[in-house]
Amino acid sequence: MQDKIDKIFKAIADPTRREILHALVVASVALPITDISAKFDISRQGVTKHIRILEEAELVEITKKGRERIVFANPSSLKTVSEWLQFYEQFWDGSIKGLVDYLDNKEG
Amino acid sequence: MKDMITKEEMINHPVDKVWNAISKAEEISTWFIQADFKAEVGTPYTFTASEDKGCMKITGVVKEANPYTLVYTWIVENTDVETTVKWRLEAEGENTKLYLEHSGIANYPGESAVKMFESFSGGWAQCVDQLQSYLTKAIHAG
Repeated sequence: MQDKIDKIFKAIADPTRREILHALVVASVALPITDISAKFDISRQGVTKHIRILEEAELVEITKKGRERIVFANPSSLKTVSEWLQFYEQFWDGSIKGLVDYLDNKEG
Repeated sequence: MKDMITKEEMINHPVDKVWNAISKAEEISTWFIQADFKAEVGTPYTFTASEDKGCMKITGVVKEANPYTLVYTWIVENTDVETTVKWRLEAEGENTKLYLEHSGIANYPGESAVKMFESFSGGWAQCVDQLQSYLTKAIHAG
């Protein structure tokens, strides 16, 4: 489990990979590696390396179509992490408010 | 992507009063959550929200407890995931600057996060409501 989260953090630590993932999510379509390579003006080899790291983090999936490899976004792994953050954001906001109210109403 | 939540709050009360509120079991139990807690390094603690309301139990160990820094690990029942909560207070005249850090949140496993979030979230909302009504009663009674 921890291993998986580490992989996600590693994958999205790099700005190029964040852009590739973003492009795939926004486009909501599968893109061939050739297209990604052209779009980001980096070598096919470079794109393949980035895609492999995203794939290891289960943020993208790859299928083969003929000789071409097609990449799909799978951002659900990211979503689950942010939901915990969102929950605790609200939780601590509420708790601090509770602390302040308590202090305001306490004597001394 | 971040792994930590940080909060800052300026509180219009002296630092010792705020310190007691966050470090003494009786006070924690009043404004936050039912606490079996001692602000001594190495001491395990338990926070228990009423079970019938579907709330969770939180356990951990006190890591640091020197005025005005309090650090404890934070493990929600049935998750086995250790996160860390750090409270830090700074006196600013008669007021207190409160800093809160909750780190290690990315340690929660992705697969079960949605499920945990849903059940947990409902539980906490009920607890907060309960606390607010308690406080309202306490104020009017006093």
